[in-house]
Amino acid sequence: MALSVRSWVANEGGKHLVLVLWLGANTLLFMRTFLLYYCGQQYHYLHQMLGLGLCISRASASVLNLNCSLVLLPMCRSLLTYLRGTHTVRSRKARRLLDKSKTFHMACGVAICVFSVVHVSAHLVNMVNFSVRYSEEFPSLNVARYRGEVRFPGITGILLVLILFLMFTASSYCIRVSNYEIFWYTHNLFIVFYIILIVHVVGGALKYQTNFEAHPPGCLRANQTNPDKTEEESGQAEGDGRSCREEARFQPNSPETWLWVSGPLCLYCAERLYRYIRSNSPVTIVAVVRHPCDVIELRMLKKDFKAHPGQYIVLNCPSVSSFENHPFTLTAVSWFKRFTELLLPDPGAESEILPMVQQRRYPKLYVDGPFGSSSQEVFNYEVSLCVAGGIGVTPFACVLHALLDGWRHFRLRRLYFVWVCRELQSFYWFAELLCALHHKLWKENRPDYLNLQLFVSQTDGLQNISEERYRPLSSRLMIGRPRWKLLFEEIGRTNKHKRVGVFCCGPKGISRTLHRLCNSDRYSGTTFEFNKESFS
Amino acid sequence: NGKIEWAMWANEQALAAGLITLTGVPRAAGVFVCLLEYPRGKRNKGTSVERTGQYCFTVCVKSFGPLTRNYYVRAFLHAAICVPGGFILAAVLGCVCLGIASLIYLAAAIRGEQWEPILPWKESARKPVGESIKLPPQNPPPRPPAEMRRKRAEDLEAAAYVNPIAVTANDD
Repeated sequence: MALSVRSWVANEGGKHLVLVLWLGANTLLFMRTFLLYYCGQQYHYLHQMLGLGLCISRASASVLNLNCSLVLLPMCRSLLTYLRGTHTVRSRKARRLLDKSKTFHMACGVAICVFSVVHVSAHLVNMVNFSVRYSEEFPSLNVARYRGEVRFPGITGILLVLILFLMFTASSYCIRVSNYEIFWYTHNLFIVFYIILIVHVVGGALKYQTNFEAHPPGCLRANQTNPDKTEEESGQAEGDGRSCREEARFQPNSPETWLWVSGPLCLYCAERLYRYIRSNSPVTIVAVVRHPCDVIELRMLKKDFKAHPGQYIVLNCPSVSSFENHPFTLTAVSWFKRFTELLLPDPGAESEILPMVQQRRYPKLYVDGPFGSSSQEVFNYEVSLCVAGGIGVTPFACVLHALLDGWRHFRLRRLYFVWVCRELQSFYWFAELLCALHHKLWKENRPDYLNLQLFVSQTDGLQNISEERYRPLSSRLMIGRPRWKLLFEEIGRTNKHKRVGVFCCGPKGISRTLHRLCNSDRYSGTTFEFNKESFS
Repeated sequence: NGKIEWAMWANEQALAAGLITLTGVPRAAGVFVCLLEYPRGKRNKGTSVERTGQYCFTVCVKSFGPLTRNYYVRAFLHAAICVPGGFILAAVLGCVCLGIASLIYLAAAIRGEQWEPILPWKESARKPVGESIKLPPQNPPPRPPAEMRRKRAEDLEAAAYVNPIAVTANDD
C-alpha cells in the first residue's frame, strides 16, 4: 500500500503545520534571546564573566516561558468544547485540529522537561563561573561573596525541578493506564509549580548594565592599566575611541515570566472553577440496567444539561473515591434531557457500586461536562465510516440514537457501521437500537443509508444471534476479523471522489491499521479523513 | 483503593534519573541504573506493557535472583549511588531524582511488592481444541434438484459455474 501524498496531506497536513509553527516559534525565541545575551551591550560584562552558560540559560528560560504558558491552553476543555460545538470555528479542518489538543499539551510538556534540563545544566555552569571568575572590577555583578565561594541561590529552582520530575514520571502511558490516581494527584501539583515559578524569577541574580551609553562596555580598559592584560590588548582597547564618563551601574533583570504565564493560568483556573460549580449538583439516577459482559447502563437526569451526540462526560463518585474523575461517553442524549451511558467494566469501581445498586441505594454521582470529541463530526460528512471495537461503540450509539430521532436534517447521507466484538453477547447491548434504526430507514425508503457489519473475533464454537426480532443483525454477522483493505476499496468504489470521514473508537491495533489505510493510495479518487477517539 | 503499585512509578523515576545522570559526570552509575531499570516488572493485576526490546534485559536482570527481585535492595542501591553523587555538582540533578525513586522503592518494598519478570506467553496455556473440529465435515451440503444438476450440453455457457465470491490473491 503506497503512501499517497494527497491522502497524507488531507489527514496529517494540519497537525504537521501546527507542529512546524510551534517549533519555529521556539527556535526563534531561543535564537533571539541567545543573541541578545551574546551580543547585547548591556550584558557585555556579565557575558565576559559567565560565558556561554549565560546565553544558554537565558535562552532556554525564554523557551520555558513560552511553553509553560502554552501547555495550559489545550487543557481548557470547556473552552475547546465551546469552540467546537457552536461552529465558532467554521472550517472542519480547524475543528479536526482540536482533536489533537492532548498531543499538543504533551509536546509542550516534553519541551518543558527537556529545556529545564538544559536550563539547570547551564545554571550549574554559571554557578561555577560566578565563583571562579569573581569580578573585582564590578563587585555588584557578583553573586558569590568572594572568589572561590560556590553560593547556591536557587532553592526555588530545585523545588521546581522536583515537582516537574514527579509530574513527568507519573504521566507515562503505562502509569496512566494502570494507576491513574498517581498521575492525577501528581499532575495537580501544577498549581504549586506555577506559584513557585513566579517566585523563582524574582531572584535577580543576573544583572544588566543600565548606563551603557555613558559607559560603553570595554572602555574601562582604556582608563585603567591592568597588569594581567598584555600590551596587545591594551593597545586594542585604546583604539576604541570612546571615552568613559562614569562607572558601570547594574540592575537586576525585571521578571517577565508572569507576563507570559498569568493569562493562561487565570484562564485555566477560571475553567476549573466553572467546571466545579457546574458539576456540583448531583445527578439523579433514574434507572440502572445490567447488560451482559459486566456492563452497566446508567440513566440519569440533570438540571440544565445539554449535550450533543458524540460528547463525553466525566463522572465522579465520592463513595468510591472523592478526587478521582473518569471519562465516559454518553450513549443517548434525547430531547427530554435524560441521558444514559454505559459504564466501562472496571473491576475496582464495580465491586463498590454494585452492592449499592442492587439494593436500590444509588450512590451520589457528580457529572462534569459535556466535553467535545471527534465523534461529533460524524454528521458533517456526506459519507462516514464508524469502526467500533467492543465497548468503543458508545460514542456511535449516541450517533445512532440521534439518527433514530431524525436523520433528514444532517449532512450525512450514508453511514457505514462496523462493530467488532470479542464475544457475541456484547452485541446485545445495542441490538434493539440497531434493529430499530434499520427498520425505520427501510420504512422511509432509505435502505442504503445504514450499512451494518458485525464481526465476532473469537472464532470458537457455533455463534449466532438466534432471536427472530434481531434478524437484520444475524444476517449481517460475520465470524472472524474484518478485512479492512477490502472494506476501504468497496467504500471507495461506491463513493467515488467523495470525502469520507473515518471514525475509530477501539483498540490501538485497529486504529493504527485504519490510519495507515487512510493515508495510502486509492484509485477511485476518494479521500478518507481519519478521526480518532481515545479513552485514556 | 489501596491497590496502587508504587514500584511501577519508582521504576519510571529511576529510569529517568539514570538517563539524566548519563549527561553528567558519573556516567557509569547512570548506565548501570538504566540497565537495571529498563525492563519493566510484571503487574499483579492486569496486563503488563513491555518496553521495546526489553526481553534480553529481563533475562539479565532476572538472573540475579533475589538481589533484583527485592525492592529493599533496589532502594538501598539507589540511595548508595545518589548520596556520593550529590556532592558532584554536575550530577546533582540526577542524584536528587534518584533519591526520590529510592524513597518510593522503599515504600513499595514495605508494602510487599516484588519484581516479577515479564516472560513471553506460553502457547500450551491455551485450552485444547476439541477433537471433532479437526475433522472435515462428513456430510456434504444439500445439492440442488436433479434437473439443475444435469449439465446441458447444448448450452455450455449457461452450464459454466461462476464463483459467487471473487477469487483474488490475498495481498494484505
